[in-house]
Amino acid sequence: MTACRRYDDVAVGDVFPAEPLAFEVSPARVDAFLAATGNPGALYREGEAIARAPSMIACVYLIDLLAARGSPPGGIHAKQALRFHRAVKLGETLSIQARVAEKYIRKERPYVVADFEARGSDGGLVSTGRVTSIWGRDP
Amino acid sequence: MSAAPVTAPLPGDALPGLSRAIDQAVIDAYARASGDFNPIHVDPAFAATGPFGRTIAHGLMTLALVAEMLNAWSGGAFDAGGELDIAFVGPVFVGDRVAVSGAVEEIAEVDGRVVAVVKLGCMAGDRAILAGTARVPVGHSRERAS
Repeated sequence: MTACRRYDDVAVGDVFPAEPLAFEVSPARVDAFLAATGNPGALYREGEAIARAPSMIACVYLIDLLAARGSPPGGIHAKQALRFHRAVKLGETLSIQARVAEKYIRKERPYVVADFEARGSDGGLVSTGRVTSIWGRDP
Repeated sequence: MSAAPVTAPLPGDALPGLSRAIDQAVIDAYARASGDFNPIHVDPAFAATGPFGRTIAHGLMTLALVAEMLNAWSGGAFDAGGELDIAFVGPVFVGDRVAVSGAVEEIAEVDGRVVAVVKLGCMAGDRAILAGTARVPVGHSRERAS
């Protein structure tokens, strides 16, 4: 598990994790995500779509990614931009990495902005986006 | 799905919305599924000392509801090529019922694709939770099928 970092130790340009994070879009993860969000999952359980996962499984791999950043407890998700470049395939493994794009203080709250990309096993883009977080309590 | 996906949306169209009741069990289940055990969501004692004074739901859980709405409306086209740009403008508390909604603002060509630009709404009672827009691929027709 990544140790928590202090806000002052985060710098624009930081890449995290150092090597792309591997995230398997396993049936168990997808089923758990759909169940927890109350989504009956009809789009993913019939016909050709049975090999497809919800693109918003991004909600899960983004948490793994932010954990790799060393964000301390108590942080708040302030903004989110996402672009899906193609549908996610059930069972595929994504490679995910991010870079700190911006830091600023607003209303005495410390913000960190990070851009991420997720790629499929063929190297092609699956999703890209920007996460804006209010930093948690420094350790 | 309870309704056929939209084929030729027009500005002003309202998307079928959805709503969900939120309690601590729902938040805890989402934490287990997502791996996000930030104590602001799952630890009432910790959250009591934070800015909201009590636990709040995960913002990404609310966003998942938005995506569910957009996919149901578009027959999964959002999954394959959609975009979101939102801000979380208010917290979701235990006991809230979250209602997500969308309205087509325009049909536009972006990067060679025809997309519906959807203004998103998300409310818990009279409190705004989320604000922003989505772009949903809608094919190439600018006219509603007759």
